[in-house]
Amino acid sequence: MSDTNTNTDTDTDTDTDGTEARTDGSGGPGIVAPDDETPSWRERKERTTGLSRLTYEYFERARREDQDLRTESDYVERDVLAFPTWPHETVRNLSIAAFFTGMIFFLSATMPPHIGSPANPSSTPAIILPDWYLYWSFGLLKLGPLNPELAILGGEKITADRTYGVLANVVVVGFVAIVPFLNKGSARRPVEQPFWSAVGVGGIVFAFTISLLAVKNLMPMDVDLLFDLTFLLPIVATTVTYAVLKTMREGYMYDLNRRYYRLRPPK
Amino acid sequence: MSLKEKDDMDHEGWMKRKDLTPVESTFLVALIWMDKRLRIVDYLELLENLYYKVNMQMPKSHTEQYDLDNKFWYWYPLYALGSFSTLAYIVAAVSGALLGFYYAPAQTGDPSTAYNSITFIMTDLQFGFMLRSIHRWSAQVMVAAVFLHMLRVYFTGAYKEPRELNWLLGIVLISLTMVFGYTGYLLPWDQLAFWAGQIGVEMSLSIPLAGEWVAQLLFGGFTLGPATLQRMYILHVFLLPFVVTSLIAIHIGIVWVQGIAEPH
Ligand code: HEM
Repeated sequence: MSDTNTNTDTDTDTDTDGTEARTDGSGGPGIVAPDDETPSWRERKERTTGLSRLTYEYFERARREDQDLRTESDYVERDVLAFPTWPHETVRNLSIAAFFTGMIFFLSATMPPHIGSPANPSSTPAIILPDWYLYWSFGLLKLGPLNPELAILGGEKITADRTYGVLANVVVVGFVAIVPFLNKGSARRPVEQPFWSAVGVGGIVFAFTISLLAVKNLMPMDVDLLFDLTFLLPIVATTVTYAVLKTMREGYMYDLNRRYYRLRPPK
Repeated sequence: MSLKEKDDMDHEGWMKRKDLTPVESTFLVALIWMDKRLRIVDYLELLENLYYKVNMQMPKSHTEQYDLDNKFWYWYPLYALGSFSTLAYIVAAVSGALLGFYYAPAQTGDPSTAYNSITFIMTDLQFGFMLRSIHRWSAQVMVAAVFLHMLRVYFTGAYKEPRELNWLLGIVLISLTMVFGYTGYLLPWDQLAFWAGQIGVEMSLSIPLAGEWVAQLLFGGFTLGPATLQRMYILHVFLLPFVVTSLIAIHIGIVWVQGIAEPH
């Protein structure tokens, strides 16, 4: 930022006579007419200390930064690249809203749900399952065989299998949550970031395989094989995706870069 | 000087001079009446200010900025998934409210009142079978749409700066959506519901340290009973609707302010 700005930050006694653009709304008519003793808004701010002081200072800097950006750049508005939600997105979405709702009604009319026999605590059914969207979580509860056994504890497991499963859920959700803090930069398209796209595809395949593991007693398949495939398939998918995107990347990035530099020629 | 209060702003005279249509004059009379009492003009001004602030800061799209011909990106149809989630949520809310007129989470009798009220809805109530079906399907569709929406956001890199917070909020939303589904799954109190509830209790009990406390709080004890159903019901029809609706509003509000991430 410019020097003038640092001046206003540190030097509190300088002019309040309006040679600079004011961003704090002072200068306009107040609600109560000020007499000579009444401090102006600006003076009041300057008398604050601590956190509120810092807030005001940052506020001024941010305003001035915006102002500089506006005057400096060729852009009409802030240099944020995005589609306006209105009308671009909203109009499209509203126009297909009725279609979507109709689809839900169609599904409901053609495939109504049924209800099982009433709850009976004394007879455990052979198959206990949650709704399909929780299968992955249910599958993570069945990772018992991966629970490490410690030799010092005489082969005992540190945590119960079930605790281990609950922790696995926390780990998976936690990992997904911190993705934005691991993958930074401006790449957006999958070809621009083969690694993270490959991780994503691996994640999807894992969600499927772990769900199948959850229903292992329904699968016409050897359970050990299923267990191995649960972890092998995602790895295979990750590798294949990575290889494919990496191969596509060169040609694709050439095009993208050409467009990009045509738009923003290097200075 | 008379003591009679003088209307220095003669609104009535102003309205007479304006030669208004009946709609306009009714509107103005109502507006002035309300404004005299509630000072609404101030609040309208605040709103107007807000509106312009938000819209003036509205990002300019890449295509507008560089005056490109608008290239169609083959991912764009997937950008509707977020609204599709919202839509399915609304359908579920409406059908759920209607179901709520006939459902009771009580466990008296055998089979329980809860179970009986579901069979009543399905067999005796006009349109009840369809109503339950709509509620079921809109819930399923919502979960599916939310999953796919998350994948869309992931693969288009739309979670990057400045949208990290919305991603975190999304994680909370998808979790709550699944809790919504789970609590609803227990309400019919049939075999599936009971034993899914059993798994839930065991899972919460196995949480390190806080396990028993969580089981007690969510399921009303360490074994399933009337308290469990009551709690699931309150979660499903009271707590979660409030929380999830507000969070969705915030989520979409943030999208509104930040704009939709564009592929560069
Ligand atoms: C109840 C569930 C949800 C609802 C109703 C919802 C709704 C929306 C809507 C309407 C949009 C506008 C753009 C679009 O439609 O694609 C959006 C954008 C977004 N959502 Fe969601 N969402 C939900 C869950 C999630 C989840 C689970 C995540 C990720 C973990 C997420 C992360 C985001 C992000 C980062 C954006 C900004 C994307 C961009 O700017 O392109 N949301 N959401």
